[in-house]
Amino acid sequence: MSAATIAAQMTGADLLKLRKKRGTVIWAVVLAVLPLLVFFIFRAVQHSSEPAQHGPAGGISGFTDALRAVALFFGPLAAILIGVEAGAGDSSAGVFRDLVVTGRSRLALFATRVPAALALCWAVIGAAYAVLVIGTFAFASGSPDPSAATILNGLGFTLLATGVICAVAVGFSSLTASRPTALTVLIGWQLVASPILASISSLGSSRKALLSQALVGFSPVHVSDRAGTIAMSHGLAIFVIAAWLAVLLGLGAWRTRTMDT
Amino acid sequence: MPTTNSQNSPQAAIETRGLTKRFGERTAIDGVDLYVPRGSAFGFLGPNGAGKTTMIRMLLGLTRASAGSMSLLGRPVPRERAQALERVGAIVEEPRFHPQLSGRENLKIVAAVRGPHVAERIQPALERVGLAERADDKVRKYSLGMRQRLGVARCLLADPALLILDEPTNGLDPGGIQEFRLMIRSMVEQEGRTIFLSSHLLDEIEKICDAAAIVDRGKVITQGPIAELAGGGGARHELLLTVDDVELALGALAGSDLVRDLVREDGGLRVILDGGPESAAELNARLVHAGVGVLRLEPVRFSLEQRFLEITSRLDGNVEAMEVHA
Repeated sequence: MSAATIAAQMTGADLLKLRKKRGTVIWAVVLAVLPLLVFFIFRAVQHSSEPAQHGPAGGISGFTDALRAVALFFGPLAAILIGVEAGAGDSSAGVFRDLVVTGRSRLALFATRVPAALALCWAVIGAAYAVLVIGTFAFASGSPDPSAATILNGLGFTLLATGVICAVAVGFSSLTASRPTALTVLIGWQLVASPILASISSLGSSRKALLSQALVGFSPVHVSDRAGTIAMSHGLAIFVIAAWLAVLLGLGAWRTRTMDT
Repeated sequence: MPTTNSQNSPQAAIETRGLTKRFGERTAIDGVDLYVPRGSAFGFLGPNGAGKTTMIRMLLGLTRASAGSMSLLGRPVPRERAQALERVGAIVEEPRFHPQLSGRENLKIVAAVRGPHVAERIQPALERVGLAERADDKVRKYSLGMRQRLGVARCLLADPALLILDEPTNGLDPGGIQEFRLMIRSMVEQEGRTIFLSSHLLDEIEKICDAAAIVDRGKVITQGPIAELAGGGGARHELLLTVDDVELALGALAGSDLVRDLVREDGGLRVILDGGPESAAELNARLVHAGVGVLRLEPVRFSLEQRFLEITSRLDGNVEAMEVHA
């Protein structure tokens, strides 16, 4: 039996743990999907009551706003919930040591958390994106629709942004081995610290090291957040993303390999 | 108790040499030499805080040893830890599970980690511990006793040659403890597995185990078969004698090479033999030859509890009192 088969089996086991964590799954779905529903319904009501003041909820304008919401704000929150559960779930439940005493390498135990977390994260985000696409067309009201290429690129961008943040969350929560700590720090970073840092112009080009800034550059449409976008090349953005992944996953792997359980 | 100078003896289920664990300035395990023979139930007995769980965590690779060497099933740990643990099942402290999963799903998780064919052992393991009918219930609905049994089922997924159980009866009711004892004994006697069981409960060790080590403050004070430990480590054998003429008996036995010590007690005599239990027959013959009527000759059975209390350093002040009660 190959190592790949065992890895697939272990990933399936990690996915089972995540799927059955109903609270996490429900909150992730609520965070990823509900804001889009509210967004489209609210904008549709606004448009129908005052068409001159408010454009259609859908179309390219609605798509852009909804993409920002799902890829840069609510989607990452769902990704953080799932990533933290994947990274710290075994330690929090006290079962990590029972997995260690099987003799399986700790690095293997760590490594299978990432694909399992991504599988669930992308399933949730995929559902949210489906709502986004349906809303874009259903509420277009004659305004221009995004092209198929834009929609596909938007999907790729959303999966990239949420996937990277999910993987970072796996690494960070494995490092802390504590769900509450990891959730507090990551959500605080995502919602508060990162936007504030991005808005401090005196920091200059050092802001390019922010993960959110590196991710924004891959959007097929202009989705700058409230702090604005700091222009950077795709090459630099890929380097920044790779560095975040390498550092956080590396630290998570190191902690998983060395911690007393 | 057999000992060996060779590292990784194939006869040893567990063997440690000079095993030490320090937490900063504090030494939790201090140069422990331990030999656990295969096919037996071995108790690791000590008061709370003696270092039992730390010892188990080192054996299983949950924490690193500061010094010394160890082997499991003849394989050096941590160098061949993965191969060693393939046939080892363990419960460290209370068994923990994912509460949102059923018992069967929790076992599936561990089976997936252990290897490709291990899933086939899930159902037999559940049946072995009597949980087959509740296997699909969420673990959060399980009682502590059921979780203990599920913990044993999780161990059985390894088809273990060695089971390491840390305080396995903690929190169980008397019925559950009795059930657990029977299960452990049948694993040793019928299935030939080795059980390494840590406990602070003397009664538990005495009823389940064939041999034991007594540990206190990180050091193994003594180890050996239960009967020898109870007898004083040096196999102390004692007799209670009731005779028709105590003075005559004292005269007959005074200076005898069979007797190490001799005291009056409750109208009879307590004799500490210098040899093994077989010398009781020779002693009886000498008394009869001297004209003493022997009304009763009864070997003294020491309990492990008496021995434990004698040698546990923190109870030094009470040893004499214990010997009087003995």
